[in-house]
Amino acid sequence: MKSFILKLICLTIGAFFITVISATAQDSSNSNLKKAPAPKSSDIYKSVVRIEVATQTPSYRTPWNSGKFGGGTGTGFIIGENTFLTNAHVVSNARRVLVTMHGSARKHPARILHIAHDCDLAILQVEDFTPFQNLPHLEIGTVPQLESQVRAIGYPVGGDRISVTRGVVSRIDFRSYAHSRSHKHLVVQIDAAINPGNSGGPVLQDGKVVGVAFQGLTSADNTGYMIPTPVITRFLKDIEDGTYDQYVTLGISKFPLFNPAMRKVYNLDHDDPGILIARFYKDGPVDGILKEGDILTAIDGKSIDSAGSVDIDGERVDMSEIVERKFAGDKVQLDFTRDGKKQSAEATLKPFPAAEIYSTQYGKRPQYTIQGGLVFQPLSRNLYAELALSNPRVRRLFAKYLTENIFKERKDIVILTNVLDDPINSYTTNYKGNAIKSINGVKITDIKQLHKLLNPEVIPEFFVIRCDGLSRPIILPGKDIQKHNTRILQTYGVDKPFYLGN
Amino acid sequence: MKSITATIFLLISFCSTYAAESLPLLKISSTSQEYNIAQPWEKKPTRSLRGIGAIVGKNQIITTAEMAANATFIELETIDGNTSMPAKTIAIDYEANLALISVTDPAHQELIAKMQPLEIAPSPKLDDEVKVYQVEDNGKTLITNGVIRGADVVSSFVDGHYFLTFEVKASMQGAANSFTIPVLKDGKLLGLLTSYSSEEQLLDVTAPEIINAFLKDANDGTYVGFPSLGIGISRTSDPHFRSWLKLDDSQGGLFIKQVNRNSAAKSAGVKEGDVLLAVDGHELDRKGFYKSENYGPLYWGHLVAGSKKTGETITLTLLRNGKKLTKEVTLTRQPEGIIPSHMYGKAPRYLIKGGFIFQELTKSYLQAFGKEWKTRAPIDLLDALNHPEDYEKDRNRLVILSRTIPTEATLGYERIASVIVTKVNGKDIADIPTLVEAFKTPAEDGIHTIEIDNDLKKLYLDSESASKVEANFLQQGLPSLSRVKE
Repeated sequence: MKSFILKLICLTIGAFFITVISATAQDSSNSNLKKAPAPKSSDIYKSVVRIEVATQTPSYRTPWNSGKFGGGTGTGFIIGENTFLTNAHVVSNARRVLVTMHGSARKHPARILHIAHDCDLAILQVEDFTPFQNLPHLEIGTVPQLESQVRAIGYPVGGDRISVTRGVVSRIDFRSYAHSRSHKHLVVQIDAAINPGNSGGPVLQDGKVVGVAFQGLTSADNTGYMIPTPVITRFLKDIEDGTYDQYVTLGISKFPLFNPAMRKVYNLDHDDPGILIARFYKDGPVDGILKEGDILTAIDGKSIDSAGSVDIDGERVDMSEIVERKFAGDKVQLDFTRDGKKQSAEATLKPFPAAEIYSTQYGKRPQYTIQGGLVFQPLSRNLYAELALSNPRVRRLFAKYLTENIFKERKDIVILTNVLDDPINSYTTNYKGNAIKSINGVKITDIKQLHKLLNPEVIPEFFVIRCDGLSRPIILPGKDIQKHNTRILQTYGVDKPFYLGN
Repeated sequence: MKSITATIFLLISFCSTYAAESLPLLKISSTSQEYNIAQPWEKKPTRSLRGIGAIVGKNQIITTAEMAANATFIELETIDGNTSMPAKTIAIDYEANLALISVTDPAHQELIAKMQPLEIAPSPKLDDEVKVYQVEDNGKTLITNGVIRGADVVSSFVDGHYFLTFEVKASMQGAANSFTIPVLKDGKLLGLLTSYSSEEQLLDVTAPEIINAFLKDANDGTYVGFPSLGIGISRTSDPHFRSWLKLDDSQGGLFIKQVNRNSAAKSAGVKEGDVLLAVDGHELDRKGFYKSENYGPLYWGHLVAGSKKTGETITLTLLRNGKKLTKEVTLTRQPEGIIPSHMYGKAPRYLIKGGFIFQELTKSYLQAFGKEWKTRAPIDLLDALNHPEDYEKDRNRLVILSRTIPTEATLGYERIASVIVTKVNGKDIADIPTLVEAFKTPAEDGIHTIEIDNDLKKLYLDSESASKVEANFLQQGLPSLSRVKE
């Protein structure tokens, strides 16, 4: 299940094949940077800080509760005036963030300035930067060469003081980022030990940052992953205007044109470029530009081969790399063949919010509404995972949310997640886990609309609630419903009967 | 002191004893072989089963369908172990889990003719005593006493087919045979044991009503099978649901949530949303039970599958929009539907084209995804199983492209698996035979177009290159590229 969701999400990667990028994508703009003298090791240590976080994680099982209090530690480092870079997952769901300098006991309160869950990076600010004023700012370097040596610095488990590990760059790849569970970007694998607590710490080469340590593998030894500089610099550029806009996407799924019969049908010679557009997403950047069955031959003038790769700085990389480096509002030039005719068009890139259903959400209170003890919540990755939803129709709605354009009609897939047992709903427990299709004949489009339908000005005799794939409706009597609600909410300790977001 | 004697007495009464009398029972051993669902052109390793059958008529030995399903060889043996007799199945009902077999050799037929067949017992009462017959390796018959504790309508072999079954309390021993063994009452055959829980010491025994119907059907020419209404139901215990349905508190009734395509209920005009109040005058309660003469509250299914023959009519009392109406329904066999519930006694149809393997979706295909198949099987196929009504149009079966063998013809398509096929070369695909037919007419340039129900929508296959691949498959020992007959 997990893997096929991942496939679905990576919009610019076809739903049918996974590309392995064999070599690095060098950021040419960075290679022109002047080499500054490397700061002394001891100075660098001071710029690497320990981050202590108290968290409050909402529960999707009891969305009305305050959530679970917890905490953790991670690493961050100074990259500019009162600018600390760390991982998004270090500070997600944070209620309090404290920063400690190497060799100091003082805890400095900090706050999150920017957080990018799709690439697992965040920027922190301390309330008072004066104590950090004289520390060096770590400089962002380039993508390191395979086999070259790097150092990871941080505050991993096993002690309170700073830790340094060495390793070599063992792989440069396009991989999933575990934090959001739905995004793929460039990743550099190193064989230095990266342990819990290392997260957010710098990985250095020649005194410059070549990556941010962020995830490991539980099933393998000597594998640590870092976020490489192209992803970091993209993030830093994105926030220059004061807000983070997220990654953009083309919103297509493509299929390689390897099959000889397929090439014959599309009139392609052996060496003809191009990849098949199997699907585009409605409301996406290429809606109205590309059609299913088009052959995309070039992107920004770079010829696309039958596997979907392009040439960047002498390296074959997936064409997604071109889009990866762009921002909302940027344009991309598309050359394609339709019905044998060559065409060309420009698409304006933008994020694709509907795909967020597949991303783990952080720092948000879960939405819900309760009527007659029936708890309704919109489907999200958090809800899907936390409730282990198994109803086949719900699984199908989730899996096909984008590909079958379900999001166009149903912004939210509303699930009956729980029944707070009461005489008014005593036979409806079995209907837990179903998706709600309609209420009193009105199709459900989102949680707010469902809330309104369940709380009309004139309460009907019955609420007839129909679920996807079930012909037997759930019947909730309207009579005295408010009286019943008061009793139910009191019994189950529910403070507010709904939260629908801001 | 009194209580101790009571315990001893109980123990004795449940203890097994050896029989001196000789009964018309025969040992059965069968060898069965199933098709390999992943590679439908071949069969899986064989499986052996042993049990005991009872002679119930002239050269007619009754046993469970489980014993005879997919049998490649059946052999009967006298209880003393002196004579082995090859046998064959003459009638089998997978739904009711009953089979009738007969010996093939004339000499053996004579031997069997000398044994007096068992009569079928009349309907018992709850708490009646019964005897369970087992045979040990040395030929001794082992008898265990038991008591009928309950009657229920359950499915024993194929899911979704429910028949009257007795729950018998008895503490049996493991013997040389499996637990497919006869259960007698007053020297007459009450039923066959279909399952035994050693923990609870409970036995499931088929009812004489079902055996009688089965034998009658088997003896009047071709075997037809048990009838079905073809509806899906939901209880009406929920008071709010009841008031919405306009059911008053004196009534029971079952909500009809589904009426199957081509079913008896459909032809009689039964509609989804009707409430089934009574069957042949027997009122149903909110959970679907009626008051039976012999067994107390019994599930309504027995009024159809246990009480009627296919072709007979049944009267349904329905509530539609708050108004009562009656419908005469002529009972039919349950239509198979586009996804068969079982494939016993049938060979799976398939077609291999250039490396693409096409099959018809069955429940066993999904179950082959392992114990967790309900979450592990492909969601599109699970959805078809749960909601066949959404896929029935223009289909007899649901044809899927189950797997792609990497060949030069399927280059680039290697990951395509478990997808629903809608059209080939522009023709609707209703089953494997129509698929075979559709592949006979590729486009002028020799390209086959396969339309599938997923993102990619169309696959292309070069007929020339496919033919080469297929010739190669045959050369390498694949027995056949297709099976069109089940």
